[in-house]
Amino acid sequence: MSSGNANLDLAGFDLDSSVQLRDFIFAQFAEDLGRMTSSTSTATPLKHAFEARVVDVKSPKSDINALILDYLTMEGYPKAAAKFSKEANLRPQQDGPLITARQEIKDAILNGNIEVAITALNELEPEILDKDPKLHFSLLRLQLVELIRQCNGGDITPALDFATKKLAPRAAMNQDFLKDLEKTMALLIFPHDNLAPELGALLRSDLRQTTATKVNEAILERQARRREAAIRQLVRMRAWAETSARSKKKDLPDRIELGLFGEDGDYHENGHEPMITT
Amino acid sequence: MTNPFQHGLSSFARDSTGLPDPVSQRRTSYASVVSGTSALSRQPRPGGAFSHLLNPSPDDLHTNLSSTHRNWRLDPMALPNPHVHAHRNATPDDGAPTMWPPRLGAGLPWFSRTFDLYMSKDPLSPPGASEDGFGLGPSVGVSHFLSPSYLRGSVYLEKLEDVYKARILAEREGHAAKTQSAAALASPGSAHTQGTKLPAGAHRGVAFELVEKPPVIEEDGAVSPLPSKWNKDDKDITLEVLGEGYEVKYTGRSLSDHEACAIRADHYMPTLCGVYYFEVVILNRKREDTTIGIGFSSRTVSLQRAPGWEPESWGYHGDDGHCFAAQNVGKPYGPKFGPGDTVGCLVNFRLGHALFTKNGQDLGIAFRDVNFKDAKGKLYPTVGLKKPGDHVLVNFGQLPFQFDIDGYMKKQQKMISENIKNADTGKLAPPLNETELIQQLVLQFLQHDGYVETARAFAEEIHAEKVALNLDPNEHIEGINIKDDEDANNRQRIRRAILDGHIDQALKYTKSYYPTVLKENEQVYFRLRCRKFIEMIRKEAEFNLSLEEKKSSLEGRKNSRYSHYEDDEEMYEADGNGSWEDQMDTEDGIDGAGVSKLSQDALAYGIELRSEFDMDPRREVSKHLDEIFALIAYPNPLKVKEVAHLLDASGRVTVAEELNSAILMSLGKSSRAALENLYAQTSVLLEDLRQDGGDGAFVTVQSVINDIPEASIS
Repeated sequence: MSSGNANLDLAGFDLDSSVQLRDFIFAQFAEDLGRMTSSTSTATPLKHAFEARVVDVKSPKSDINALILDYLTMEGYPKAAAKFSKEANLRPQQDGPLITARQEIKDAILNGNIEVAITALNELEPEILDKDPKLHFSLLRLQLVELIRQCNGGDITPALDFATKKLAPRAAMNQDFLKDLEKTMALLIFPHDNLAPELGALLRSDLRQTTATKVNEAILERQARRREAAIRQLVRMRAWAETSARSKKKDLPDRIELGLFGEDGDYHENGHEPMITT
Repeated sequence: MTNPFQHGLSSFARDSTGLPDPVSQRRTSYASVVSGTSALSRQPRPGGAFSHLLNPSPDDLHTNLSSTHRNWRLDPMALPNPHVHAHRNATPDDGAPTMWPPRLGAGLPWFSRTFDLYMSKDPLSPPGASEDGFGLGPSVGVSHFLSPSYLRGSVYLEKLEDVYKARILAEREGHAAKTQSAAALASPGSAHTQGTKLPAGAHRGVAFELVEKPPVIEEDGAVSPLPSKWNKDDKDITLEVLGEGYEVKYTGRSLSDHEACAIRADHYMPTLCGVYYFEVVILNRKREDTTIGIGFSSRTVSLQRAPGWEPESWGYHGDDGHCFAAQNVGKPYGPKFGPGDTVGCLVNFRLGHALFTKNGQDLGIAFRDVNFKDAKGKLYPTVGLKKPGDHVLVNFGQLPFQFDIDGYMKKQQKMISENIKNADTGKLAPPLNETELIQQLVLQFLQHDGYVETARAFAEEIHAEKVALNLDPNEHIEGINIKDDEDANNRQRIRRAILDGHIDQALKYTKSYYPTVLKENEQVYFRLRCRKFIEMIRKEAEFNLSLEEKKSSLEGRKNSRYSHYEDDEEMYEADGNGSWEDQMDTEDGIDGAGVSKLSQDALAYGIELRSEFDMDPRREVSKHLDEIFALIAYPNPLKVKEVAHLLDASGRVTVAEELNSAILMSLGKSSRAALENLYAQTSVLLEDLRQDGGDGAFVTVQSVINDIPEASIS
């Protein structure tokens, strides 16, 4: 009897471990498959129903091409926009010079040449800054930040002069402006390598980026009555729709891959983890 | 349920045999009142939204058909419809408009011609539909495609429209076949030919077919239709349905307190809409005592009870202004309503509440926190009548509403677009933020689809931005290396060739770079071959056009010696100046022989194409071949509006993209770039969010695309 028991135990053990092993292999396999489905179109039988539905949904090239041209135009990439309308046989959405004009202003802001940007903006759309004091103030404030950056540790006179002449009169009229000005002036007092996070943020390049975006949107609103490229709406719609669907407990795969990484092995070979090299 | 109508109306409406019924001779014209306009309205407006889908041939048939209908309809009083007379008699002065409350439609009755203009804005509205009113109420555009204003642009309505168009198309194709068979059967004694007075047996066969087909009843199908009429099979027997199915009247005795007579609509309120709205007009004569309840209920609810009194039933009652939520006891809700009032009922599936309106005014939420979308039974618009003479008309969206439902819908949409605007895009592809993610999506698409030069230009531009933003002079920003991907170059070369109309070149490139692709993708190969033929025709047509231009300038120089091109040849010959070609050669250096050479080549190629695909059993193949060969028949197809689109350069893009996808597949790459995945995923996610009438009902991917202007901005 005891030997029988032992045999049984042994058999049970064997069975158990083989089940475990099988499960383990299966899990590995499923994981690999998951990666594969996300990055390639290899027909795999274990596709989530959601993925299968996605495959069946149309994504017309005409729509995608329109999104691309709209983006390149709206966000100010004149060279790419021109090439694209040529390569894809599309009518340009906006005349090249108009895109270039916006791109030059954006470029000046990103490079920290705020004075250049303001001059160019006044030439292109003279009314924008007059009618939008907030935008004007944020440009001038950015200019002050750039002046402070330049005088790091050295002569602060140019920055002080600029603040008293250009910013102070405006700040006197608006509480928000005043707070912003005070915060910026604090940069003159504290050493830049050990700033409070709130102040440090002012010196990061993000401020240039967001200001450039605001200016671009203001010009677009005047020229095209739209502030943003449609692709931004689409991307947000995608993010919102997934969050909503998950909160409503819809049947979705754990992760819905865009297939942005690893498609052509441009960023890394296998497409296992999302990463970017730039 | 027993049917009180001696004409067997309900069985008729449900009859789906699609064949003429020998014993129902009288129904023919009766039915034309009920759904005659449907036959009429199925004739698309010339050049209408879907006319391009249709072959030209069945048009003649259809014109005949609708003219037959028109003839019938010219004399409405001759129609053996008891309801017409009953109704007219009930109106003392026979001037139907006077019984309408003056408030309606700014002092005009709803069926007033004033609304014709409005109605004809409907893209699917047939030109003659609005002339068909009998004074019976809203007969305007009766059973043509119902598109309530507030649902326009929604995916739901789009789907319904697709179903509708597909059905018309199927019916048209069916007609062609039926007509032939009917003609073949049209011998004396045949069961199909009792209507000898009609111009042709075939027409009647067709008319029956149209009329007797049930009006899209796919309750469990993918898209459930909108409520469109009262359901004659789902009512208390003492109720009478009038006015093409929109009106209902109580003709019975006085009822005790706990009784009422109810009727439900033909279809349930689809949750996919997100919001559903309908209005009911009380048609009783002034000072008449009314007791009317308006609401919605499931099919299990007794029809001897007013809406709201039973489980799965909700209603607002005019005699006391109370609202009833699935129980006998109501609560005070709004004002009383009676003769002349318009009461609307709105169900918001997303928010789980319902409200009523009176004469265009929102009365506030009546029922909240009700999970309508999960109600056990589907919910149907319902009215309950009680007093003898109670008489109502329903507007299911076939007419403008009194309440600003469009505005209500826009508010719903705005709430959702606010949420979308604030969505966190950081989780889509961490660690990328929104701007970086979009840059990567665009860049990857450009590379994936082989837009090599654009990709390079874009990479340079975003690199320059990164350099500008870099504040640390010691850090080196690496350029984005757009690999000189031979594959991408090849694909772009092939695309370029197609976009330029050089199909042979594209075929040659494809065969040498990707030898298996065309063999494995026969459909793509077929499309390419067809496009080559189209390009040949196009070339010839363009050549002829330029020739004509030269010609007219030549004519100008010769002081308009000739009035018509047609005469030219004769004139030349009569003048003894030699042949036409000689003339052109010597004077303008145009190789006139080139014209015939081109068309000969095209012809030869066409014959070759035909013989190559002649054995192909697929219907779309032979259909497409027929379509493009027809081009030869025109002297200059570019000038013929009906076929010129076949020659349009935009067709090149489609072919080019089909081929590009096929090549990508053959390389084992996804046929879709990440941006395309994102687009498709969004569509599917929205579909999920739409199912229960939730947020997805109010947004579409298409609306984003539609925001992109087509023309250049100034």
